[in-house]
Amino acid sequence: MNAQEPLYSLHERIWHWLQAAGMIVLLLSGFAVHYPDHFGVFGSMANAISLHSWIGFALILNAFLGLFYHLTADKYHHFLPKMDDFTGGAVRQARFYLYGIFKGEPHPFETDPRHKLNPLQKVTYLALLNILLPFQIVTGVLMWGANRWPAAFERVGGLRVLGPAHTLGAYLFLAFVIGHIYLATTGHSPLSLIRAMITGYEEPVRHRRAAEETEPDGAGDAPALAGDATTPPVESAEPVPIPPNA
Amino acid sequence: MNSIGRNACRARRGLALATTRVLAVSAAFLVANLASTIVRGAAPLAEPPRISHPLLVLKDAAGKNVLETGEPISTRQTCGGCHDYDFITDSFHFQQGKNEMNAKLLASHGIAPFNSSPGMFGKFSIIPNRQLTHAGVADVSDYDMSQPEWLTKCGVCHTGGGISEVDLAGHRFLTPEAKANGSLDPSYTVRDRVSGKVVPWDWAKSGVAESDCFLCHVPKASRGARREAMTAGNFRWADNATLADTGIVVKQANDTFNYNHAAFNPDGTVKAEALGLSDPTLENCAQCHGFTAKNVTVIQAIQHADIMRGTEKAGWIYNGAKISDTVTPNIVGREQMDFPWDVHAAKGLICIDCHFSPNNPGRMIQTDAAKNLNYRPGMNDIAVYLKRPDHNFARGNIPPETVNMTRHNTMRGCEDCHDAEKAHAFLPYKSLHFKALACQTCHIPEVHFWAYRSDEWGFLMDTGTSRITFRGIDGDIVNPDAKVTGFKPAFIPARGKDGQTEIRPTNLVTGVYWFDLSKRRPVFTWQVQQAFFTGWDPDNGWTYRPEIVKAFGDKDGIIDRDQARYDSPEKIALVRGLLQKYAGISDPELRIEVVPWAMSHSIAGKGQATKACTACHAKNSILHRPLDLDNFLPKGVPTFFQGRKIDVVSWRGKEPGFDNRPLLASFYIIGNSRVAWIEWLGWLSVAGALLFVLIHGGVRIFGGRR
Repeated sequence: MNAQEPLYSLHERIWHWLQAAGMIVLLLSGFAVHYPDHFGVFGSMANAISLHSWIGFALILNAFLGLFYHLTADKYHHFLPKMDDFTGGAVRQARFYLYGIFKGEPHPFETDPRHKLNPLQKVTYLALLNILLPFQIVTGVLMWGANRWPAAFERVGGLRVLGPAHTLGAYLFLAFVIGHIYLATTGHSPLSLIRAMITGYEEPVRHRRAAEETEPDGAGDAPALAGDATTPPVESAEPVPIPPNA
Repeated sequence: MNSIGRNACRARRGLALATTRVLAVSAAFLVANLASTIVRGAAPLAEPPRISHPLLVLKDAAGKNVLETGEPISTRQTCGGCHDYDFITDSFHFQQGKNEMNAKLLASHGIAPFNSSPGMFGKFSIIPNRQLTHAGVADVSDYDMSQPEWLTKCGVCHTGGGISEVDLAGHRFLTPEAKANGSLDPSYTVRDRVSGKVVPWDWAKSGVAESDCFLCHVPKASRGARREAMTAGNFRWADNATLADTGIVVKQANDTFNYNHAAFNPDGTVKAEALGLSDPTLENCAQCHGFTAKNVTVIQAIQHADIMRGTEKAGWIYNGAKISDTVTPNIVGREQMDFPWDVHAAKGLICIDCHFSPNNPGRMIQTDAAKNLNYRPGMNDIAVYLKRPDHNFARGNIPPETVNMTRHNTMRGCEDCHDAEKAHAFLPYKSLHFKALACQTCHIPEVHFWAYRSDEWGFLMDTGTSRITFRGIDGDIVNPDAKVTGFKPAFIPARGKDGQTEIRPTNLVTGVYWFDLSKRRPVFTWQVQQAFFTGWDPDNGWTYRPEIVKAFGDKDGIIDRDQARYDSPEKIALVRGLLQKYAGISDPELRIEVVPWAMSHSIAGKGQATKACTACHAKNSILHRPLDLDNFLPKGVPTFFQGRKIDVVSWRGKEPGFDNRPLLASFYIIGNSRVAWIEWLGWLSVAGALLFVLIHGGVRIFGGRR
């Protein structure tokens, strides 16, 4: 691998931040609709609904562009968990978050441009992208289309079903966003992962190597990546990919 | 050229000249006409002359001219000569449920079996807590209001025909077949107020009130005079009384009427200008239905000692005048109300524009939904209409009215005249809103008048009757200086024209009354009087029982208005015991019933209609407005709404308020509705994420770890 290759390509970073911005606007405008007494930030409820609809469709488009990009750029495999990811991998990553991180242990799964997500992320995104996101899209589009496709809208129970369902999805997304942002601070430094999603690169490798040398169990986790023939040895002080633990 | 030739030539020239002149004049005439036509184009067309009703002879029951006999007018003979009297009077204005006395029909519409009909003639109402006695009762304890008594009270408006001509067995009064079936037959008896005994009604003396066609078709009809005749039991002359202000009749000292010959033509017909037969005017309908006028600044909603019904129940005023121009009553803030009482009235619409005869060719709906026909030819036969005009007038669906129960929502809906899609550009999700909300929900944001608030028959005042309270007024309704503050409606679900359930505005009238659980019917007022009073006499009126005075009165033994309330379970138990002891009610139960009176008049235009999203889509949504009920309501008693036991009374506020959340549970109002488990689960997940961040982050920070 070329040492100059970023962990996150420009496409991925733009896609990520567009998703992030869209999601935040959706959450804010959604809460402006759900709690109009407390979230009057968009001037009026009609504005909030209009913005929510536009951003929602923009986000759907962005999601499809992301899908297209990951399929055509052969990057979809990042999101495909292996069987071990559901059990051993996810447990090891969870153990790290709940225990190892406090002991200064190294990340159990080193990441690089070919392995960007740890098992827990893969499992989370599998649920998020295949269940929660489509669920929000379907419930949201049906509500948006209540005037256009009233039969379909009523067939699924109308607002009485769709409203609460979409609201629940929004709460779960909010919980995800909170966890996502927080876990983005669990890189080698609190801002390293966030910086990586901006610049594409994590901190200089010497910091990482120094860190790894101080961690007695770090070597024990290295074999997790050993099978990947494409994983390059870390040799220089050039910027290297970082593990997106968030 | 010879002379002949010259002459011929001159002749041709002359002809040509003449032709040219004619053409020129014709052209000028055409141009002038065209110009004239163009200029006249903007001028209004003259109103075509109306077809007037043919002159008629007023006939008595024998079919003779009343001028000759001096007998009361018989509309069956007078009007029925051309129009199908029996067909016309077999409609709900005349029957008020009498032709719907069918237990299966009532049951299919959820009407409790203690009612004998779905109309006012047979259906219990908390106003005025009376029940028409069922035919065939054998026990005097099952006897309340008889048919003759009903006529003396309700027959003022319900204009004869079925209910005042025919007994409950279907026989016309004063015919050989018409006979009382026992001593308690409610068609032939009445409860004597003083003795309390059931005594025979003298039909020969009262006579029969035939359909009062004049009340609706004579512009100068006098409801006041009719009221006098009916309340006095002078049924025979009631139709004559209605003509008291026309100059056709003159009342005599013995409560009969003479005929004024000056109002008649030499041929014995009545003068057209005296009778003035016409379609019902606003004023005709107003006499019974509510305050209605084209443009009036003095709003007098109490006429002939009766509060006009629609105004009384729902506070509506159908008037084209601006509220700001109101002289009386004292409408608070009227200076700012530069808009009409009702936009339809201001546009000149009259009652029959919407509440038309269903077979009137000029107004009828010529669709046949059952056959998927948008236009059904052959329905509009004027001859059929003139012979048999359908008097089951087009109507909506106005809870709690259930009369004519199989023919609700027969009038045109708002959407049949207005293109709501185009008129609501500001509104997102139009069809969703239009489906969930009645137009009135936004277009009756407030009623600027007073209306009934409660009618409590659970505790009788020293008048022997209920305590009535009003909303929307600070003071007495008969005081012209009392401040009329108006009120904002409450909302309930109701069946819309297309069968869907929609949210509608209503006034709420709360009743408190005793229910006889052993007989599954409300306790009759005379039975409650037996429990509360030792008796009545003309000098002292009603006298409370000592037990009542002791429990409810002050140290001087006086029960004032504020003390007349059930503020403890012991007081309820006391009256319950008195009902058992003195009225023989084995299992009485005190109940609250909240009755909604739907609103469909006092329509506001777009300037005043509710438009802000957050009016409904917010925590304090107007759709859940806790309209104040009645500060005298007893606590801890069963509450009923539209015949079902539902707790719609909230005690959270200063006064008991209406809580419609159980009723609107099927509506999800974005920004207002919350599904408890969704909110719990949602916030729990968010709180869990935050808690994780706090604890995890805290340990990282304070533990010195990354």
